[in-house]
Amino acid sequence: MGKRDAVVVLSSDEEEEDWKPNKNSRSKLSSSVPQANPEVAKKKKKARFSSSVPRSRSSRVDQFEHLGDEFDEALRAFNGSIGYVKNQRKELWVDKYKPQSLEELAVHKKKVEEVKMWFEQRLRTPKEEFDSYVLVISGPAGVGKSATVHMIASHLGAGLCEWKTPIPTLWQEHVHNSSSGIRYTSKLDEFENFVERTRKYISLSGESKSSIILLIDDLPVSNGKFAYGRLQNCLRVLVQSTRTPTAILVTEYGNTETADRTARSIEELVLSLESAGACKVLFNPVTLNSIKRTLSRICRLEQCNVTAGEIDLIAKASGGDIRHAITSLQYYTLKPETSFSSPSSNGALACFEEKTVDLNSLDVEASLPFGRDETLSLFHALGKFLHNKRDTENAVTSDHDRFHLREKFRRLPLKMEAPEKVLSQAHGQARPVVDFLHENVLDFIRDENIDDAWTVASYLSEADFLLASSRGTITRSYEAESVLQSTAVSVAVRGVLFGNSNPLSSRWHAIRRPKIWQVEQSSVCNKFEMMKQRFTAYDGLSSSNLSHVAMEHRHVLKWLGSRPYGNGVLTQGNDTEGNKVDGMTSEGQQCEASEDEIEDW
Amino acid sequence: MLWVDKYRPKTLDKVMVHEDVAQNLKKLVTEQDCPHLLFYGPSGSGKKTLIMALLRQMFGAAADKVKVENKTWKVDAGSRTIDLELTTLSSTHHVEMNPSDAGFQDRYIVQEIIKEMAKNRPIDTKGKKGFKVLVLNEVDKLSREAQHSLRRTMEKYSASCRLILCCNSSSKVTEAIRSRCLNVRINAPTEEQIVKVLEFIGKKEGLQLPPGFAARVAEKSNRSLRRAILSFETCRVQQYPFTSNQAIPPMDWEEYVSVIASDIMKEQSPKRLFQVRGKLYELLINCIPPEMILKRLLAELLKKLDAELKHEVCHWAAYYEHRMRLGQKAIFHLEAFVAKFMSIYKEFLIATFG
Repeated sequence: MGKRDAVVVLSSDEEEEDWKPNKNSRSKLSSSVPQANPEVAKKKKKARFSSSVPRSRSSRVDQFEHLGDEFDEALRAFNGSIGYVKNQRKELWVDKYKPQSLEELAVHKKKVEEVKMWFEQRLRTPKEEFDSYVLVISGPAGVGKSATVHMIASHLGAGLCEWKTPIPTLWQEHVHNSSSGIRYTSKLDEFENFVERTRKYISLSGESKSSIILLIDDLPVSNGKFAYGRLQNCLRVLVQSTRTPTAILVTEYGNTETADRTARSIEELVLSLESAGACKVLFNPVTLNSIKRTLSRICRLEQCNVTAGEIDLIAKASGGDIRHAITSLQYYTLKPETSFSSPSSNGALACFEEKTVDLNSLDVEASLPFGRDETLSLFHALGKFLHNKRDTENAVTSDHDRFHLREKFRRLPLKMEAPEKVLSQAHGQARPVVDFLHENVLDFIRDENIDDAWTVASYLSEADFLLASSRGTITRSYEAESVLQSTAVSVAVRGVLFGNSNPLSSRWHAIRRPKIWQVEQSSVCNKFEMMKQRFTAYDGLSSSNLSHVAMEHRHVLKWLGSRPYGNGVLTQGNDTEGNKVDGMTSEGQQCEASEDEIEDW
Repeated sequence: MLWVDKYRPKTLDKVMVHEDVAQNLKKLVTEQDCPHLLFYGPSGSGKKTLIMALLRQMFGAAADKVKVENKTWKVDAGSRTIDLELTTLSSTHHVEMNPSDAGFQDRYIVQEIIKEMAKNRPIDTKGKKGFKVLVLNEVDKLSREAQHSLRRTMEKYSASCRLILCCNSSSKVTEAIRSRCLNVRINAPTEEQIVKVLEFIGKKEGLQLPPGFAARVAEKSNRSLRRAILSFETCRVQQYPFTSNQAIPPMDWEEYVSVIASDIMKEQSPKRLFQVRGKLYELLINCIPPEMILKRLLAELLKKLDAELKHEVCHWAAYYEHRMRLGQKAIFHLEAFVAKFMSIYKEFLIATFG
């Protein structure tokens, strides 16, 4: 279908023109291509078009035939070109350099061995009864989960019976299908059928031919409780009843704070599978070294010269995702080729290389044209700021000669990236970040350093001021507001980092939720309550300022023991402090409902 | 009902403290031409009482029939509409509100809501167009923009609407507004006046007042009549018959602040700072205004401090009070002040005692 569409588009004139030079430039690169084909096709077509210009008078049939011919020609040409592209590029490197043997896997040897043993035991000695025949392999994307299973299967000479999530049905497709009488089956149904089939079929025939591995590469998405329940049930049945070694691959969405329901439900699924008796193997991100090894092997095979530094950079930027690393490499090697023809590009290339070297020394990955988006959770970022890890020695001593800082302003270099960058990775919003820092920072300051505490507090006060001024007038432009916000948070973070001149040696700390949120809410509750009581008690005869009520009237009412407030706040007693605390707790309960919201956040 | 409300003078004739002001106001109103008014003076001096009495003088008993409304206003502010919630106290003739409650959106309150109110003016019995009175509290807390728009509203709707503004310090009200109002300063009552009022209440309640007791209550009250009456009532609950040396219970939050102050003096460390923060939170939960906390805390700290540090500590208190006004969350600034104080004090201790 797709191909035909493409051809129709291609047969229009301008497209052809555009298309040609492009192809020629490519065909220069490889001589093995049947070059003549598109050229010929084009000429023929041109001729036909010119002949069929007086279309209005010529018969329709004629025209149609012409078109048909044209179409065939173009199709042939197109197929040829496809083939040629395939020859040249082969495929994506990711597919091209798929591991061919167990040794080529970038996954850690022991891990592979572990998984292999597991399968081997179950395949070689089918008579024995094992506790479970299901292995859940989980790990982040691109760490070679599928590749490992595939390799092991071929290594053990076992057939692979694979479930792959089918392509979703489009609405048009659905309409088309239903008109032609094909019933729509949901993906979940299909999955259930698959499981059912394999369970029965393999266990029957499996006696004779024992070496089959069942691979469930991608669990179908289940929306809603009911569908989820079905999926869970289906999997549990599978785990409990199957006698075929089965691998279920689960992609972890790990540390990112997307925390949407699907990610969570998948976690739950894995847990339920485990409780049903499945084994679980966790794949870690691929190590830097093995990524580098793989990349340099590909480079060798492709005969492109990429320096070790660049490979290192790519490997680092990939964040343990080998698929990503290989794609990046392919993209990277592509780049100089295209600019090779222009004479000036040599300089540019040199410049580029210089830059990369430069970057390398600075260890800044973000400015590369590739690299996965590294995200941090907010708490990770906060932890970085609060723990305030620094190098033990100042590496760049030469800088000190240039500008001599006074002792009290001197700080050791930070053991992290620029705080603003960390923040942007954590997607931290200004206000919550400042609140969190304020709540927690005191725990990280040494007991004797009250001066530091003040420095930090003053910077936080400054940040609060900046944040407040951004709320001032509404007509202000949003850009100005966002600048103010990021400035405020930067002041707060850097203030915390700078202020704590002698950070505590790191130990475990729980990061608390800012109490200020709770305080604000309960104070609003209280305020409302107070005003209401005051008004109802005195028929609204006079309105008093809230502050007066809070400061003076309440106190007297407390003494009077009359309980117009209606809650347990007003306990009589001499110990005012005790009283306060009492009041606090009951108010805390009042606002519990709203607290939950915060926790959810 | 608390004595403060029970013995609040209902008419201008019954006022006990500022008789002269009351008489002048009465004259002003009876002459039928009432300008905008700005009452200012320290808290507990009787501004509100005078205003209530004045309204009664103007509109008679109808001014007493008030209802409390918590209304949400939809204000059209250029590109979007803002929902503002505000509590108002209104009778047929007047509306009382506290526009600074709207925080940084107070401008819209002033602009829109007041405009709306001024539009539908009442018609009195003789079919003559009367005017509405708008009582605005805490005008000094309004933002600059709000004060500017208040000024414009004042000019535009002066035919149908009279404003009565009430604030503690006229210095925070712009010149433009002050010059458009008749400024009425209400002094804090003297201690003798307070004693007089307390004795009056005592007589009405049929209490035996030992000699000097009322004077002591007045002295403790810091020349705030409201406070004097409130603590008088507290004493009544605490112990009756009165004895002349009876302890007058201080306000609980003030006591709490002094606990905080002594905490601060005892130890200066981040840990202690954290504990202090917890206590400050408790005060804030109970809606004690942060400015008052800071003021009180400073007073408590100064009591225990060496003279040579006082100047610096005051400076920082002023600095953070300003910050607090500009900022958003008071605790940040309160805490910064406490931290600064700890830092200064610790340095001082080390320098003196080694």
